[in-house]
Formats: sequence, structure tokens, C-alpha cells
Amino acid sequence: MNWKLAILIVAALGVVIGALIAIGVAPSDAFLQILKGSVGTPGAIGRTLRETTPLLILGVAVFLGLRGGLFNIGVEGQFLIGACVAASLGLKVPGILGVLLAIVGGAIAGALWAFPAGWIKAYRGGHEVISTIMLNNIAFHLTTGLVAGPLKAPGQQSTTTATLTDSTKLPMLYSAPPLTINIALIFALALVAALALWLKRTVAGYELNAVGANPKAAQFAGVDVRKVTVWTMLASGAIGGLAGSCQVLAYEHRFYEGFSPGYGFDALGVALLAGSSPWGVVPAAGLFGILSTGSSFISAALQIPKGLNGVLIGLIIIVFAAFRYRRSRSNG
Amino acid sequence: MSTIVSMTGITRRFGAVTALDQVDLQVEAGKIHALVGENGAGKTTLMRILYGGLDADAGVIEVEGQSRHFRNSAEAIASGIGMVSQHYSIIPELTCLQNLMLGAEPGLWIAERDAEARATELATRMGFEFSWRAPAGSLSPAGAQKLEILKLLWRQARIMILDEPTAMLSPADGDALFVSLKQLAAEGDTIILVTHRLPEVLQHCSHVTVLRGGRNVAHAAIGEHETPDAAQLAAWIVGHEVPEVQIEAVAPGKPVLEIRSLRVRGDRGEEAVKGISLRLHEGEVVGLAGVDGNGQRELFQALIGVGTVLEGSVLLDGRDVTRDGPVERLRQGVRLIPEDRHEEGVVEDWSLELNAALGLQRLEPLRSGLWVDVGERRALAGAIAERFRTKHGGLGLPMRSLSGGNQQRFVAARALALKPRVILAFQPTRGLDIEGTLAVYAALRETCRREGVCAIVVSFDLDELLEQCDRVVAINGGALFEPKPGEERDRAAIGRLMVGAA
Repeated sequence: MNWKLAILIVAALGVVIGALIAIGVAPSDAFLQILKGSVGTPGAIGRTLRETTPLLILGVAVFLGLRGGLFNIGVEGQFLIGACVAASLGLKVPGILGVLLAIVGGAIAGALWAFPAGWIKAYRGGHEVISTIMLNNIAFHLTTGLVAGPLKAPGQQSTTTATLTDSTKLPMLYSAPPLTINIALIFALALVAALALWLKRTVAGYELNAVGANPKAAQFAGVDVRKVTVWTMLASGAIGGLAGSCQVLAYEHRFYEGFSPGYGFDALGVALLAGSSPWGVVPAAGLFGILSTGSSFISAALQIPKGLNGVLIGLIIIVFAAFRYRRSRSNG
Repeated sequence: MSTIVSMTGITRRFGAVTALDQVDLQVEAGKIHALVGENGAGKTTLMRILYGGLDADAGVIEVEGQSRHFRNSAEAIASGIGMVSQHYSIIPELTCLQNLMLGAEPGLWIAERDAEARATELATRMGFEFSWRAPAGSLSPAGAQKLEILKLLWRQARIMILDEPTAMLSPADGDALFVSLKQLAAEGDTIILVTHRLPEVLQHCSHVTVLRGGRNVAHAAIGEHETPDAAQLAAWIVGHEVPEVQIEAVAPGKPVLEIRSLRVRGDRGEEAVKGISLRLHEGEVVGLAGVDGNGQRELFQALIGVGTVLEGSVLLDGRDVTRDGPVERLRQGVRLIPEDRHEEGVVEDWSLELNAALGLQRLEPLRSGLWVDVGERRALAGAIAERFRTKHGGLGLPMRSLSGGNQQRFVAARALALKPRVILAFQPTRGLDIEGTLAVYAALRETCRREGVCAIVVSFDLDELLEQCDRVVAINGGALFEPKPGEERDRAAIGRLMVGAA
């Protein structure tokens, strides 16, 4: 911690406090309300956990890509494609079989959606950030088109699919309304644990880390860098698609236009905040969940714009990125 | 005889480390002055202070009798001091002329014809020849070195600092370079030569200053009485007598690696290796002498299984492995000490422990099935660090916390671990000082003798190879040349083979 960083943090706080004062809200009040609206009541906790689930899974997807040297900005698109495929499969095949099909189908769809970006990066040298941004656009318009046309529920005014039957939903693990916890959250945590173990203890995980940290050294160590790049993108995309499946099966129970409020983009921040350990994704996703739920709450309670959430998250990322940058420079 | 550069009492600290402690350097005008010492002795730090790349904490710098303090290299060059570092700063896409002028163009508008005339004049003075409109990327290492020196002359430098200028040159090119440098000195320019090569110092320089551990150890004039010999210089540099290397002859065992008329395609589609045949036996360390860029890299790529083999074959223990990929070769015992350890040999952000497995990650006992055996990895990391006494603060610390020489020790030791069969070493002693160099070669020979392994060592330093290897072959233009019987240790003969003049 040096004085430059301290100034940065003070400046960031200043921006938020200044903005709050400008719109006539006492800053201390706002922060209390954020906490109250996100973790203050059982219902609020339930909402926060629900918000945290997709951020957690998508954060894992981005994190895995980063470890392998890929900045997968495309998780938003993979999330949409996975959700759309999961919803249509779940509607076709009801019951437990449908749930399994939707999970696997969503993951495969996400992987396929990510594949071009990985292939182009590995074999044509095109940067994955550009290609995944393009794929995001295509995914958004494609799923919107599908849900407005062939997938649209008959007799519905809005552009949405029909709703899944109760037997095709992921069950609640704990249900004492207003506090409910879906089993999807446990899936997400298990995914973090599995990834942590895989990266640390398997030869494949070691090689993936090597490719991310120094592709040239990895090549000299006998690693097929191109193959690892493609597989990393496929895996990252599959987890992105899986997040979409879980969102449909656990919470939304349908697919509709405007399905994602930008979870894929928030997940970039989650992965960045997580640092170098997969376990870091958990608190990072939790923090983003709290800020998101809390600021929705105060925008209603204190009549302030919902954009405050975005401002807060943006400032956190900037401060953190500056801190990380400083640390890596001082090492070198 | 006038002193042109006088540095007195120069002290520089980096944190708790004192890199330079009250160092003096007096350089006479019109001389070639050698500055020698081990890695970390403070040579580079001292030179950076002289040309404005670094500030001294204490001390006085006088140039031509005037006290000077350069805040950056632009100020230094304006006062006539310039430096050519080991890593050339030539941009291959620009022409030779553009490179020459870069940053010192004669005005807003460049009259190419006038510039070219002036460039040719400079070159002729030095006895160099350049086609100024050709891209600089087409220059040989010797040509690039010459262009760097001309860049200094273009900027009207009269005091030139050259850092290991002959490191990448053949003996013949190196000698030619010194003829030019002596010409410059005769005209009154001053050259400070930073080098590891002691024969160069004794043959071409008029003075030598020795640094050790950031202090002055010795200063001597060469060519007068009481001129130090190479052994004396080496003793000053290291701090104690350096034993002469005695290579005990080996009775060649059975063949391990056999290369049969191998032709390999290079990165630019050209045929980089043109029909090389070579047989290595158990216990043998073979030196591959050659100027950089004569097919050494492509030959090694083909041997580790990433090159494009056009024709010919590679046999390991009698088995054809030409079609095997890198993983398979590693399993069969092919090990590489890569050229650029930062880029190719280690992951600097990783701990020593993680780096210990790099390249060996798929081999038993580091791997059991799909899993990494963490205990074995830790044990191996300890053994590797122990082998050449890598100085480190803990196996869990990142690789970047090690100095370059210590990283190289680690990388070399790793290549000797887990039952190698063939060790391919590309400049394994690059950046190592005398002691490190001796240790690496001794371990290489010992491993080869004891475990029945063979090794190919690529180096651009013929003296080192002649001193340390069982036999030396030359590579030139992608073809291999073996010295004639009776000339196996003949420096001049092998030097001629390296440039195709035999």
C-alpha cells in the first residue's frame, strides 16, 4: 500500500460520495441501505445468492480462460446461447431427463459458440477479444430472433418461451420463503473446487497454466500450445453455457428477450478481482452480488438511479487493477 | 597520453546491495581499454552510469577534464559518449541507412543521397562495406555489429562503449572487427570494451581494469613488462586460481544419437539444415561451433521434434524417432537447454518448484496417471537447485527473484534430471561467469560419463568449446564440417571451417 494507491482509493470514494450528495442522498445512508437491501433480511440474502450464482459460474469461465492466456469476453454470448438451448431442450423433454439434457446441451452449445474464437486465436493469430465481442453480438441477435420467432410461446404477448414444467426445474436446496437457496449455487461452488483441484494437481492443469504464463516456454516443454488454446476456449465456453443452463433451470424457468442484464460483463470483473486463485472467484462474485442486489434496492428505496451499481463496480475494478499492476511491476 | 574519461569513487547501491563501491576507472584517449569481471561485478552498472543510463550515489565523472553528469543517454551522446549494448537496437524492417540515421536525422527533410554519401564515407574510413538501401534484417551478426558502431560514429561519438561485441561473431569476423577498432583508436577515438573473452583483452587492448564484487581489483597496462597473462587475469576476476580443465578422454561407447543426412526447413521456408550427418556416442560431449544463424536453431528444433524435417532421419538408441513429436522425444530422454532462458526456459512468475517440472511434467515420477505428484516435484526442485548451487531464497519464491546466472544454473541442472539420453544445449553458459561456466560443463561431462548420455553444445565461443568438449565440429550455412585428422584441436582450422574458408 503506497500513497498513490491511497490517493486512488480516496479519489474513488470521493466520486461516489460526491455523486450521492449531488443527487441529494446522505452517503452513509446509501451504504447502510445497500447492506440492508442485500444481506439485511432473509429475503435479501436469498436475492443476493440468486444474483451471485450466474456471476460465480461465469466468473469461473472467465478465470479459466485467463489462466490459459485467453481473455474470454464472450461469456455473455455463451451464457445467452446456453440458456436459449437449455430452455428449448427443457421444454421439449420434461422431467429429470430434460434437466440433464438441458445442462449438457447448454454446455455443449456454449463450447461450440466459443470454438471459433479459440480456433482463430490458435491457428490464425486473431485476437480472442475481437472475435468474442463479435460472437457476443451475433449471440444476442440470434437468441432474440429465435425467441421472437420459432421459440416464442404461443399466445404470449411478450417475446418469451413457454415456462418449464415443475419437474424440469432444478430444486431448491433450502426453502423457507422468503429465503430460498437453489441447488445451482452448490453446483457453482463445486465447480470452483473442482477447478482449483484440477489446475493445481493435474498434468493438464499444469500445462494450461504454463501456456497462459509463458507460451514459448510451454512449447519448449513439449506442450502443444495451439491445442491447449483451443481446449481452454472450449472449456471456458462450456462453463459459460452451463451458467446459462443453470440460470434457466434454477431461476428463470424460461428464455426471453433481454435475458441477461450483463452477467457476462460483470463476470469479467469478478475474474479480475479473483486474483490468481480460483477460490478468489467466490468472494468476488459475492461482492458483485451484494452490490448489484443492494443498489437495486436503494434505487427503489431512495429514488436514485440504478446506475450507481455500475459506478461502484467500475471504481472497484479500477482501484484493484491499479493495485495489481503496481504489484506486478514491483516484482519485475 | 591524456586521460579522457576519469571516474573516481563511483558508488551505487540498489536497496541493500552495493553494486559499486568506490570504483575508479581511468581511460586514456586513443586506446582500447578492457573492462572485465564476473556477472554482477558491476561492469554494466559502471558503464550505464558513464553514459547516463543510471545515476551514481557518489563519485565524480570527468570527461576531457570537465566534471560531467549525464541525466540520460542523449546528453551523453551529445558529449561524444555512446554505447553498443549486447542486444542490438537495429530495426530489421528499415534499411541500413534508415537505421543509421534513426534518432539523429540531419533535419526535418532527409536528402537520402547526401546521407548515403556521408554514410559511405564513414564506412570506408572503417573499412566496412554496406548496401545502404538493403533492409537491415538481411545483415549478418557481424554486419549488425558494424552498423551499430557506425551509428555511434554518425552521432560523432569519440568515446565508444562496446559490450561483448564479438559474442556472436566468428573468430575471423572478430579479428576483422578489432582491426577496425584499432584504426579508430589510431585516429584518436577511445574504446571501452566490456568482455568475457580474455584472449581478446591480451591481444587487442592496451589497458585492462578488473572489477570484482563491485570493487576495483586490478588495473594493468598490456604489452609492457609485468603484463598479466590469461591465468593471472582469470585469478583476478574470480578471486582465486582457476584450475585448468583436464578432460579425461573417453572411450566412445555405443552410439546413442545418430543423425542421417538431415534436411530441415527454416521459419522462412528456406532449407536451413542441408544434409547433416552426425553420430554421438555414450559419454560424449560434442561442441557445435558456428556463427549464429547457420542452422543451429533449426537442427535443434528438428532434434526436439518441432522442426519441419524435409529428408533424412534421427535415430535414438537405434530407433527411428524422426516422426515422433516433442512429448515422445522427451519421454525417450531428449532434453533441451534453450537459448533464451527468460523466454523459453522458465516461467518467471512461477515458483522454483513449479519450474522444476517444466518440460518434465509428463514423465514419471512427476506424473502418476493424470495427476501431478506434488511431493516428487518438491524433491526434484530441491535436487535441481542443489546441483549447481543455485542461490535462492526458497523453492516457493518466484523464478524472477533469481539472478540471470542462477536461473541458468537451474535450467541447466533441470536438463540433467530424470534420466536424459541426449542433452541439447544451446549456449548453456550464456550470461554465466567463469565459475558458472566451469560448473555447467563439468556437470555436463560428468552426467554424460556416468550415465552414458551424450550432449551437443552450441556455442558461438570457439575457445570455450575447444576447452570443454570432447570434440568440436563446425556448422556453416546449414552444413556440418568435421576437422581433418590432426586438426581436431586446431583453433585456426576450425575457425576457417566455421566461415567456410577451409
